[in-house]
Amino acid sequence: MATHQDSLKRLTFTRQIVYVLVATSIILPFLIKGISLPFEAEPGAETFYKQLDRLPPGSHVLMSFDYDPPSKAELYPMTVALLRHCFEKDVIPIVMTNWPSGLGLFEKACGDVAAEFADKGDKKVSGTDYVFLGYRPSMSDLILNMGVDIKGAFTTDYYKQPTAAMPALEGVKSLRDIDLAVALAAGNTVELWMAYGSDRFGFPLAAGTTAIGAPKLYPFLNSGQLVGLLGGLRGAADYEKLIERPDIATSGMVALSGAHILLIVLILGANIWYVVGRITGREGS
Amino acid sequence: MWYKRTIPLILVFVLGILAFAQNFIPHPLSEKFLKTVTDWSRIIGGFGLFLGAYSLLHMHVSRIRRQQPGWAYSGFVFIGAMGMIILGLWNDGVGPVRPAPDPQGTWFNWGYESIQVSCSSAMFSILAFFMASAAFRTFRARNLGAALLLAAALIVMFGRVTVSETVGGWLGRPKVFGEIVNAIMDYPNMAAKRGVLLGIALGAVAQSLRIIFGIERSYLGGGD
Repeated sequence: MATHQDSLKRLTFTRQIVYVLVATSIILPFLIKGISLPFEAEPGAETFYKQLDRLPPGSHVLMSFDYDPPSKAELYPMTVALLRHCFEKDVIPIVMTNWPSGLGLFEKACGDVAAEFADKGDKKVSGTDYVFLGYRPSMSDLILNMGVDIKGAFTTDYYKQPTAAMPALEGVKSLRDIDLAVALAAGNTVELWMAYGSDRFGFPLAAGTTAIGAPKLYPFLNSGQLVGLLGGLRGAADYEKLIERPDIATSGMVALSGAHILLIVLILGANIWYVVGRITGREGS
Repeated sequence: MWYKRTIPLILVFVLGILAFAQNFIPHPLSEKFLKTVTDWSRIIGGFGLFLGAYSLLHMHVSRIRRQQPGWAYSGFVFIGAMGMIILGLWNDGVGPVRPAPDPQGTWFNWGYESIQVSCSSAMFSILAFFMASAAFRTFRARNLGAALLLAAALIVMFGRVTVSETVGGWLGRPKVFGEIVNAIMDYPNMAAKRGVLLGIALGAVAQSLRIIFGIERSYLGGGD
């Protein structure tokens, strides 16, 4: 008869095997060159892309990046892809955050993408071609405040430049003057942007979120409160595909597929073992 | 009694009604009211940050003073916080030594990129291992409901990754699994989520009305 100690040992051993398999399924695809899986962008990503793509040059897109380093793997590729799309279209991104712990990431994203375009001879200047407003406290109150006066809510940008006469914010008084808003969120700020922002001040809102957060936003996509939705690393890869700039998210698709397939096989295997055990009356099934 | 109960109740009633009415009054005065109130609220929010920082540090000081199990970890909170504050303030973030090891030229950025981003990402990525192990060990089709949930989860897991399009291609329809996933998301998932969301929203409205009209007073605190 199996003792409690034996059960614990077996459990620990099984867990270690699962850990090794998961690590292998994620790391291996990055080491083997030349593997790729063709895919088409999903409908939510396509509508998102079209909303931004239809904007004429000089339009203003408010981007609220509300995440921090733990969600970097899923949301940073989206951030970079969206900034690239804006710069490509000469649309002015107005970047802000409600999460202070992500500030460094967003500053780096803006700087890196601007430098990328500068290398191609299309220099993007902070305050003229884009704005990085940084962080201000009180999420919902900040959104309501911006609904009346954006430049009052952010009197200076992240680099301490006054926003009052900033060329990039010309013609933008409040959220009503925004052509499109994008909320990339690891928490619940998309709902706040809807309740206190887009529903109230009447601007189109698109969202990007972690894979685990996407299902809860589907009702809003269907009701039209969101005009587009990117979910997780797959959403980022879809956007990279749409702007024809494959990058880190696209290269992660094989690893993501490998990990999902492994998990499906493990769960199915365990269930078959469980059902067979119940039929044969095996102990511990 | 007057200061502790009546004044707060009057304030909540007046401001609650004004904030509610403001939504429906498209007038410059109404907008000015919204701006003023949210300005005040944001200032209070700013102080909230200091309160949060104080509360965190106070908790860890208590742990160190009482030498609770794992108190040494609390020391790292101070080392990390003080280290980043010093790096942030020293030479406006550039730090004590030039050149800084970070391409953006500041020790503060180096600390953020190399320590906070790396450690936070690593901690979060460990979740993948725990989730895989937990799903493998506990996700069982013990009854019809659990079996349906399991089937839906496996289909969504498969349909959300790009390999499903390759497999679909072999079946002559690359997007077939994606379409099934979208149907699951658009109907059963959305129906359930809408029900929950409507319930939460109605509950929030009811609770707000109770607070505005002074029926719910627990926010005032107990005692005299």
